[in-house]
Amino acid sequence: MTRDEIKTELMRIFQDVFEFKNPDPDDNLRDVHGFDSVDAIELLREIEIMLGAKLSREEKEKAMDVRTINQIVDYVESLASTRR
Amino acid sequence: MERRVVVTGCSAITPIGRTKEEIIRHLVDGTSGVKQLRDDGLLSDHIHSGVFGTVDYPIEYDFKRTYRKTMGPVAFYACQVAKEILEGAGLSDDFITSGRLGVSFGSTHGSPSVQRGIYRSFFSNSKSEFSSIGAVDYLKSMVHTTAVNITKMFGITGRVISSSTACTTSSQSIGLGYEMVKYGMQDAMLCGGADEYDTTTVAVFDNLLACSTAFNDAPHLTPRPFDVRRDGLVVGEGAGAVLLEEYEFAKRRGANILCEVTGFSCNNSGGDLIFPNVDAITRTIRLGLQDAKISADEVDLVSAHATATKMGDVVEAQAIYNVYGNSPLITGLKSYMGHTMGSCGAIELIIALYMMEEGFVAPTLNLDKIDERCAMIRHATGIAECDIRIAAIQNFAFGGVNTSIIIKKI
Repeated sequence: MTRDEIKTELMRIFQDVFEFKNPDPDDNLRDVHGFDSVDAIELLREIEIMLGAKLSREEKEKAMDVRTINQIVDYVESLASTRR
Repeated sequence: MERRVVVTGCSAITPIGRTKEEIIRHLVDGTSGVKQLRDDGLLSDHIHSGVFGTVDYPIEYDFKRTYRKTMGPVAFYACQVAKEILEGAGLSDDFITSGRLGVSFGSTHGSPSVQRGIYRSFFSNSKSEFSSIGAVDYLKSMVHTTAVNITKMFGITGRVISSSTACTTSSQSIGLGYEMVKYGMQDAMLCGGADEYDTTTVAVFDNLLACSTAFNDAPHLTPRPFDVRRDGLVVGEGAGAVLLEEYEFAKRRGANILCEVTGFSCNNSGGDLIFPNVDAITRTIRLGLQDAKISADEVDLVSAHATATKMGDVVEAQAIYNVYGNSPLITGLKSYMGHTMGSCGAIELIIALYMMEEGFVAPTLNLDKIDERCAMIRHATGIAECDIRIAAIQNFAFGGVNTSIIIKKI
């Protein structure tokens, strides 16, 4: 997946699955949209579906520092690159 | 310190309607909410009983995803009745989040439909299916899912009790909530129970030969509490909730006081986990009256547990007679909607309250010919105009748990 494709798919997930209204790629998801621990785990599941691959525990733990959609795009791009 | 406890709000989802008007109309018309069992693609073909007390009308939930994401069907029911109560109660946001409002709410076993999905994944040979178990599936299915989804939705920070004692789940929820307020631990408690459409519960009772099977082609004719042709219980679904408040607090804030809860008892039969015990239930009823500080002849109405099992009704009738003689009117409300399991105590209390408010007693439906072993008590066999000042709601559960709640007109 290209970076643009990842970003488009993540924006779709945040709007359709998480029902966030007009998310900005630099919004702090917790502060602006109430993103919580349950959402974080659900997002990892969505990312696994997006990549068609399981994430390791270490990979999942790295996601805990992510705060914005742009940071999530970076995170997914990095995961995708290791699975090419 | 003992404080007076009053009911200041109630809401129900039942097989015979949602609103007070709908429910009363069903009672007055003698219309049953029991329908044919739906094909669930799993158990329905193997179950002898083909009937279910069904909520077959749409409910428009207006819950944001942040609340929906941890709810199974049972929590949707619970949060809907809780929402209706809190929206109408007029409690301030400051009070709701103060820690002085608690929640006492339960279900028989969380969300069986979500659990079914989990087990399907567990026993799947597919690795991807096993790993697809959602992180929130536990939150949706766990035994206290109803109570904590309510606390999340409203930011309630007080005590949480989540009874899960099968048929006494919600009567215990209300009773324990009443004691929380009575003894000063909380100023208000949101109490009740819920259970969703579930054929596994039917299968359990079916295997115990406790379910009705003779009226599969005429569901409205069963269950038949106290009737000679009764052949077992009918499992149902629903939810019921009440808001309990300390009397002075409710009066000060100008709350609409619906009735007073004056007594609660809960004991165990101390032996058999299935068959009801006449001595234990007799004690339950006496302990309830003792807590309410009233004599048996002051009770105008008894809402009997009355599941329509062959022995359960005989034992209950005997226990009622032991304490009350043939003085109060006795009605079995499950005859209209089946056994709504974890919600039955709350629903039956709410309906008893409606009858208290409107001055009538609905008869036990399908009670065409009273079993002579149950005939020594005063059955309501037709609509009776009646000034109900005090009513007792009694419920009994597998495991030998028995409860009685006393409510009083105020």
